[in-house]
Amino acid sequence: MKSIRRCQHIISLIIVLFIIGMAVLVLKIQREASFYMMNSDHHELGYVYDRNGDVLFDGTGENQYPENYFIDVGNLIGDDKGQMTNTLVSKNIEKLNNYSFTGGLISNGGHASIFTTIDHEANRAVYNAYGAQKGCVTAYNYLTGEILVSTSLPSIDVTKGYDAIETFESGTLISKTLYGTVPGSTQKVSTVISALEIMGQERLFSKAFNCEGQYFNRSGLNIDCHNRYGHGLQNIQQAVENSCNPFFAQLIEDDDMPLNRVIDAYRKLGYAVNEEEVSYFEIDGIECERASTTLTDSYDFSTQWGCIGQGETLVSPVQLMMWQSAIATGTGRMTMPHLIDHCVDVNGNVKDSAKIEYSEQLFSVETANTMKQILLTNGANHYTYSISGYNVGVKSGTAQVDDGANENSLLVGFVDDQNFPIAFCILIEKKNNSFITTEQITQILLDNLRKDFTM
Amino acid sequence: MYANPVAYVFSCIFVLLAHSAMLANAFFYGNYSDIKDLIILGGAVVALDIVYFIAILFFKQISYAVDFLLILILNMSVIFQSCFGGVHLDIKHYVTCIAALVSCKAGFLICRNYKKLQDKKYIFYIGICILMVMIVLFAGERSMWIKIGSFSVQPSEFIKPLFVLACATSVMDQQKKHKILFVNVVYENIALFAMTAVICLFQWWCRDLGSLPTFVGIYCCGFLLRICYPKAKFSRKKLIFACIILLIFCAVAYKFAPEYVQQRLHVDIWNDKNGDGYQQSRALIGIANGGWFGVGPGKGYLHNIPAYESDIVFSTICEEWGLLYGLMMVCVILIMVAVPLINPPRSYYHATMSTGVCAAFVVQMALNIFGSCNLIPFTGVTIPFVSAGGSSMVVSGFMIGMLIACQSPVFRESASNKKQKEVPAWRWSE
Repeated sequence: MKSIRRCQHIISLIIVLFIIGMAVLVLKIQREASFYMMNSDHHELGYVYDRNGDVLFDGTGENQYPENYFIDVGNLIGDDKGQMTNTLVSKNIEKLNNYSFTGGLISNGGHASIFTTIDHEANRAVYNAYGAQKGCVTAYNYLTGEILVSTSLPSIDVTKGYDAIETFESGTLISKTLYGTVPGSTQKVSTVISALEIMGQERLFSKAFNCEGQYFNRSGLNIDCHNRYGHGLQNIQQAVENSCNPFFAQLIEDDDMPLNRVIDAYRKLGYAVNEEEVSYFEIDGIECERASTTLTDSYDFSTQWGCIGQGETLVSPVQLMMWQSAIATGTGRMTMPHLIDHCVDVNGNVKDSAKIEYSEQLFSVETANTMKQILLTNGANHYTYSISGYNVGVKSGTAQVDDGANENSLLVGFVDDQNFPIAFCILIEKKNNSFITTEQITQILLDNLRKDFTM
Repeated sequence: MYANPVAYVFSCIFVLLAHSAMLANAFFYGNYSDIKDLIILGGAVVALDIVYFIAILFFKQISYAVDFLLILILNMSVIFQSCFGGVHLDIKHYVTCIAALVSCKAGFLICRNYKKLQDKKYIFYIGICILMVMIVLFAGERSMWIKIGSFSVQPSEFIKPLFVLACATSVMDQQKKHKILFVNVVYENIALFAMTAVICLFQWWCRDLGSLPTFVGIYCCGFLLRICYPKAKFSRKKLIFACIILLIFCAVAYKFAPEYVQQRLHVDIWNDKNGDGYQQSRALIGIANGGWFGVGPGKGYLHNIPAYESDIVFSTICEEWGLLYGLMMVCVILIMVAVPLINPPRSYYHATMSTGVCAAFVVQMALNIFGSCNLIPFTGVTIPFVSAGGSSMVVSGFMIGMLIACQSPVFRESASNKKQKEVPAWRWSE
C-alpha cells in the first residue's frame, strides 16, 4: 500500500506543479492583458487632458477641434498612428485603452484617460511667440516636478495625419526638449558646479584669470572670446556674467582642477563622459537623452571647448532645466519632472497619481547655494529689465551648430520665489535670423504661468 | 452493470446539463447563420452522450467516474471545435471522438489484467521498434507523418501508450539484480534506458522535439518508481543522482538543440510578432480579447491563424468562450488524471501505469498551454481530447482506457503461468 501511495504522491506532485503553472499563467494574463490588446489592431482609446481639463489628444476621433488646436503639443503628446514613437501617447497607450479583462473593449462610455500637468494655454502662448522661428521651451515647477510648458517647433497637428510627411521640416516629429543639443555657455553652469565641488567656494573665488579676447592654451591652440577686446582680469562671478571662454579654458588647465575629478563631478551631474553609446532616462516612459561629453586631457582643445559648451558636448533642454531645480532649491538634488498628474482607468477609478521624486545628491548644498547666488547676481545685473517682475537666476548661452554656420541661443534659469517656483530652458535656433529673444520668450512664459499660481 | 443506479443517473444528468449549457451559450451568443447547424450539433452531442451512457453499462467496472469525465470532455471538445469561426458540426472531429471512445474501451480491456501484460511485455518493445521502422520507411524525409490518401497518421503518438506500458510492466523486476564487476544492475532498467535513449534520438532525428519532454516525463516517473521499488521510502541518494542526470541531460539537449529550437528559446514574440512570434502573440491577444467570458462562440479571430484548432487551441477556446471555460476544460482533464488519488489503483503495476498516463497528459497540456502563452518555448504538442488530430485522439482515448483499467483491474493468471510456479514468468527471462 505504501508503494501505491508513493505513486499517488508523484501524481499529486505533477498536478500541483501544473496548477502552479496555470496560476502563474492566469496572473500573467491578468496583468498583461492590456498590453496584449495594445498589440492588436483594434483599440478604443480615451483622452489626454491638460491640467485644466483641456483636451490634448482625442483617442475617439469623434470630436471636432479648431485647426491646429493641438499643434503646440503635437510632437510631445503625439498620437497612436505609430509615426512618432517617443511621445506621451505612444509610451502610455495602455493607460488610454478602454479595455479591461472582465469587460473587454468598451467603445462607448469608457473612462480611460491621462491627466497631464501641462498648461495648454501657456504652452500655446509660448508656441505662438516663436512666430516663424524654430526651437523649444520647457518649464516646470521645481518644487513639485510638474512640467507646465513643453513645446517644440516645428510641430504637427496630429488631427491632420501624415499624408504630407515628405514635406515636413526636419525635427517636426520629435520634441527637441528631449534630445541633446549643443548647450553653448549654459554648459558653464556645470563647469562652475564641478569647480565648486573640487576646490570649494573660497578657493574658486580667489582665482582670477586674464582675458585678452583670445587665449592660446597649453597645447598652443586658440580659444576665442566673444569680446575680442577681452574682459581683463576676472573672478568666477565676473567670468560667468561675461560668459568668458578664455577664463574657463584657464580654469580647466588649472592645477587645482584635476581632470579625473572634473570627470567625476560631471558624471555625478548625469553626464555620459567619454561613452560611445547614447543613453536615456525616462519621464513617464518618454525617453530623454542623457547629457554627454568628451573629456580626455585638461590641456586638450576639445576638452576645454567641451567644458565651455561647444565641441562634442550635448545636453537636452530638459536636463538643463532639471539642473536648475537642484540649484534653485539649494539642495543639490534635482526634482524629477513628470508629465502625468494622474490616470483614470476604464471604470473611472483614479490611478497612477504622480508623486514628488528627487534625484540623488548631484552636488553639495554649499555648491548649490553658491551657484544659486552666482546666477541670481547674473540675473539681477543683466536681466532685470528684459525679464521684468521676476527675481530670476539665469545663464545664457550661444551654441555654434552646423559646423559654425549657425548659432542657437539658449537661456536656462529659475525664478527665486517659493510661491512661483519655475525652472526653465529656452532654445531659439538660428538666432541671427530671429526677431525674438530668449528673454522675451521667458517673459511670455512666466507671465502666462503666473495665473496657475495665483488662482 | 453499474453498481449504483442513483450515481449513474445523476452523472448522466450532470454531463447532459453541462453540454446543454454550452449549447445554450452557443445559441444565445454564437455566430451561426442557420439554426439548423446548431440543432445538428446539439443532436450529435446528445446522441453521443446517450449512446455512451448505455454502452458503458456493458463493461464491468468498479468505477465509472473516468468514463463520465471522458464523455464530458470529448463532447465539450466537439462543441468547441464545431464553433470555431462559426457554428457547424465538425464531422471529422466528431468521428475522431468516437474513435477515442472505442479506443478507450479497447485500452481498458487490454490493460486490466496486468499478469497477462507481464507475460507479453516484450511485445511493447517490439511494437515501439516496429513503429519507428514504419516512420523511417513510410514517412517523408525526417518527418513523423505517414500519409494514407487524404489522411495523415502520426505513428510516434502510438509509441506513447506502449512506452507507458513498458515502464509499468518492468517495475517488479527490480528485485532481480545481477552483479557486473562491482555494480549491481537490473537488466530491465538497462533495457528501458536503452529504449528511452533510442526514442529520444529518434525524435531528435525526426525533428519532433515537442514530444521529447512527454517521453522524458513518462520515463522519469517510471524510473523514479522502479529505483525505489524494493523500499517503502524514496531513496534520497538515488533521487539526487537522478536529478543530476536529468540536469545534465537538459544541459546537453540545450547545447546541441537545432538552430530552429534555439531560436524559439530566445524569440521575443512582441518584437517579432509577424515572424517567429506570430502564433503566440496572436494567441495572447486572443485570450485578452476574450477576457473571462469570451467574445462568443464562433466570433473570435484566432480561427484565421494556422494551427488554431491544435497547437493554440487553448487560446482559441479562451477567445471565443472565455478564460473561465478554458480553465474548466483544463480542470476536467486534471480531475480525470487525478482519479487515482481518490480511487487508488489496486496494484503497484497499475499505480505505475496511472503515474505514466498522468505524466504524459499533464506534460502535453503544459507544453501546449504554456507554450502557446509564451511561458515556455512553443511546441506543436496537442492537448489530449481537445486539440484536433486523429492520432492524438485515439492514443489519448487508449491511455484513458489504461487509467480505467487501473480502477477496475483483473487478477487472473494465465494458464502457462500457473504451470511454472518456481520461476515466475512475469520476470525478465535470462
